[in-house]
Amino acid sequence: MWKDLADLLFQAYEQYSLLPLFIEIALAFIFLAILSTLIAYGAILHKRYRAYVYEKRMAFISPKIEDMITEQVLLNPNLGYDIPLESIEFDPNALGDKIYRKPFVRQMLIDTLIQYRKNFRGEVGELLRKLYIDMGLDKDSFAKMKTLRWERKIKAVVELTQMDIPISDVTILPLTNSGIPALRAAARNAYIQLSKNEPFKFFDIATEPLLPWDQLEMFKIITTTKDIAIPNFSRWVSYSTNKSIVSFCLKLIAHYDQQSTIPAVMELLSNKDHYFRADAINCLGKLSAEVAEDKLVKIYNNQPLNCQIEILKALGRIASGKHLEFLKSEFLYSSNFDIRMNAARSIIRHNTQNSRLMVEELMEMTHEENQLIIKHCLNPLIKY
Amino acid sequence: MPNILVIEDDDIMLKAIRNILGKDGYVVITAKDGKEAFEKLENADYEVVVTDLMMPYANGLEVVSRLRSDETKRNVGIIVISSVGNEETITEAFRLGADDYLKKPIMAGELLIRIRKLLSNKNSTSQLVTKKK
Amino acid sequence: MIRTLLEHLQLIFEKTVFVYGVTLLIIYACLALFSFYSVRRFLRKESYTDYKVIVGSELAPGVSVIAPAFNEGLTIISNVRSLLTFDYPKYEVIIINDGSTDDTLEKVIKEFSLVKIDFAFDIKIVSKPIRGIYKSTDDAYAKLVIVDKENGKSKADATNAGINIASFPYFLCTDVDCILHEQTLQKLIRPIMEEENARVIATGATLRMANSCEIDKGVIIKVKAPRPLLARFQELEYIRSFVLGKMGWSQINCVPNVSGGLGMFDKEIAIKAGGYDPASFGEDMELLMRMNRYVHDNKIKAAVRYIPVTLCWTEGPTSLKVFMRQRTRWGRGLFQLMVTHRKMLFNPRYGRVGMIMFPYNFLFELMAPFVESVGIIYYILLAVFGLANWPYAIILLIFVYSFAIMISTLAVLWDQLTFQYYKTWTDVARIAVMVFVEMILYHPLIVVFALRGYFFHIFNRKHSWGNMQRRGFKPSSAASTTAAT
Repeated sequence: MWKDLADLLFQAYEQYSLLPLFIEIALAFIFLAILSTLIAYGAILHKRYRAYVYEKRMAFISPKIEDMITEQVLLNPNLGYDIPLESIEFDPNALGDKIYRKPFVRQMLIDTLIQYRKNFRGEVGELLRKLYIDMGLDKDSFAKMKTLRWERKIKAVVELTQMDIPISDVTILPLTNSGIPALRAAARNAYIQLSKNEPFKFFDIATEPLLPWDQLEMFKIITTTKDIAIPNFSRWVSYSTNKSIVSFCLKLIAHYDQQSTIPAVMELLSNKDHYFRADAINCLGKLSAEVAEDKLVKIYNNQPLNCQIEILKALGRIASGKHLEFLKSEFLYSSNFDIRMNAARSIIRHNTQNSRLMVEELMEMTHEENQLIIKHCLNPLIKY
Repeated sequence: MPNILVIEDDDIMLKAIRNILGKDGYVVITAKDGKEAFEKLENADYEVVVTDLMMPYANGLEVVSRLRSDETKRNVGIIVISSVGNEETITEAFRLGADDYLKKPIMAGELLIRIRKLLSNKNSTSQLVTKKK
Repeated sequence: MIRTLLEHLQLIFEKTVFVYGVTLLIIYACLALFSFYSVRRFLRKESYTDYKVIVGSELAPGVSVIAPAFNEGLTIISNVRSLLTFDYPKYEVIIINDGSTDDTLEKVIKEFSLVKIDFAFDIKIVSKPIRGIYKSTDDAYAKLVIVDKENGKSKADATNAGINIASFPYFLCTDVDCILHEQTLQKLIRPIMEEENARVIATGATLRMANSCEIDKGVIIKVKAPRPLLARFQELEYIRSFVLGKMGWSQINCVPNVSGGLGMFDKEIAIKAGGYDPASFGEDMELLMRMNRYVHDNKIKAAVRYIPVTLCWTEGPTSLKVFMRQRTRWGRGLFQLMVTHRKMLFNPRYGRVGMIMFPYNFLFELMAPFVESVGIIYYILLAVFGLANWPYAIILLIFVYSFAIMISTLAVLWDQLTFQYYKTWTDVARIAVMVFVEMILYHPLIVVFALRGYFFHIFNRKHSWGNMQRRGFKPSSAASTTAAT
């Protein structure tokens, strides 16, 4: 019987090899296409079935998890009486349920706990963390860190960071320079949050850019983590060669209003990259750096448009009143609309006797379009 | 006990707040989006409204604005809970008449204290009003 | 002598067409691979991304949402409301009333307590005159701006007016009747914020048919595959075009078009490139082409990215007449674009755009309807003269057919991998069935309508569809012609 089959195949092949080339190609493609289509349908079936099973399980387990967390944490009778957390015990029966031994359920537990942590800090937040540790879920996360698949590693790092579990420097530091951007970002965030002595160490060594998306998370961690030692960021502004780190530091300087960094930030005004200069000018404005005003006005004429606009904005933020005349002349004589708009905004922003008089005066002496600009800037309904 | 309306589109948070407030004995009504919120505001009176900012159908600020412009509901205490923490939004919420603004993650204890405070303020002002009469 | 010459010609013709076809199929196979890779990469990222961070961040860049409206009185209120509920910390919504002749403007003014204000802006891109700009006196609607302008007979003109008054560095271009997901802004801004070596000048995401979805006041309650046959074909086409086509192109940074229904753009570059062209019949693709041109001329390293999640639902035409107008318009737009920018064809100065994207669109999008029709006419002639080699002809037909099915099936699979929008099995089956009949029922329509568009362009039939040109964008100028096998 096998021989028959082999014969048949052989004959088929002989027939096939006699066909013209393009028909051979076509036949090969047909075979491939049919095969892939079948596989694709198989995959769709499989995927939908798995999703179905997953949903079923979720529908059964997630209320269970939520109820347990509600009982043990949110409605914990010991909450609200200043009882030290260490002495609060969970109900071993509730935690010991067999279902919480399944890996799938444990992952769901971790995810749910993190969701709660995003909504609650303070006592409830701490108790959620305690639950995470008491159920040994930190071990699950650590185990995930040892896998080779980087997306699982990232997940582990994120989990540990969310739960505020210290990771040893030996483990986390190498990851902060990983070649995979996302892993690097997660590791850096973890390091900042969890390292107690020198959270900003990697700023010194980072050669890879700190992407704007990653800055979001890092900014949040820096500004919300308790007892983090905020250094003087001028260190990196002056010495770092990594532009994205410097511009990130500028944002932090503005956020923490680090007045002592003003000289270092002013150094950047002579940097070649104009996007960079614009960031520095913006930062000076937010710091209300009066000492920088004269310099800003002095360099104004040699700047590209984006820097000029930033200078005008900064003058409005600093608002010492010394350069109102400068703003006025820019408003009256510039041919560029955006410059006039920002000059007007900055004059109004001064909000002093002088500036108000100036606005009135300008309203009378200038042409219609400029009047419209002033009205626009004075209108409280226009916010952006 | 006082009625509280909690408006929140995150399921977990909604249930959590309901449980926490319920534990302190408040009567908690929930709404998971703007549409449901406005329906429930029509149908009953509440002492305090706890609202999220971003949700389907309406913006939390609209809830604040509508409550404040409605004669009969002007005295409802309003607490905004949101993950948005930029200054403009917070100022906007207060300008529209929110009494408090809590940024997520919140502290459960703080929420309770603020609600208590709002209620006691209200009681004292309403007492003042009655006294004047 | 003549006979042999003819035979030679026949052979050359057949071989050329065969090579053309095989090349196209190979390109599709490559696209399928690329898109699989990029879909997977996207999914991995999603698995550990927390979008709440950007919602709570003061570092989030501002986005202006621009949505033109023309005679939308019936639905305008709920549509505007739904645009005001994005999960994003810093954005404004600019609605352009493009000279509506119904009560669109009055309704909005009343509902949102709007007042006309003095608003100064610079005309960076020319558009029809603006009659007035309105803002709400209620702080709850501080994000809303309404622009009332004279009708410019095109979506391009209206959007340009919106770009002029937009105050943020990015803008989202959409239609007022599109239903957008609440996470649209955060998801589309992400590729812009995480590109390491290039400036991302535009991003887009998948569009789908809203036809049979359960919708309540501008919010999708339940996604369903469309019931009407024509809309179902379009849904399949969109899935293929976005999830397989654009995701594939995105992987190699050759995205030809960010659809007019949903796209986020870098405002500075869009303005410098000159904004939308009101004279274009495919203004979305045309703008992107000019932006690409601008960045190359100015040596800016740029990228255009797509993400495979569906963020926009739009009503697809269900009547053959409206559908024909839409596709004729697209065909015309493509032809016009290729003629206008012909200098980019195989021009190494424009990098991948000139060497890959443009040639592909020229050879396999613009030329495909010609080649196909010529091929069919050729076979008919052979058949009439009794010269056809039937077994071979049939094998070739099966070859094309099976390959088309494979590509579409893969697209459906990729889509199922990203997110299971359809909750039921029957919905998936509804789309899967279309895979098998598309070639016979739907594809010929596309070919004919595209040729009709070319024809109109060549003979410059300006007013052939009168006012409907204006309506052209309404049923969404959404999926590009890409991947419309």
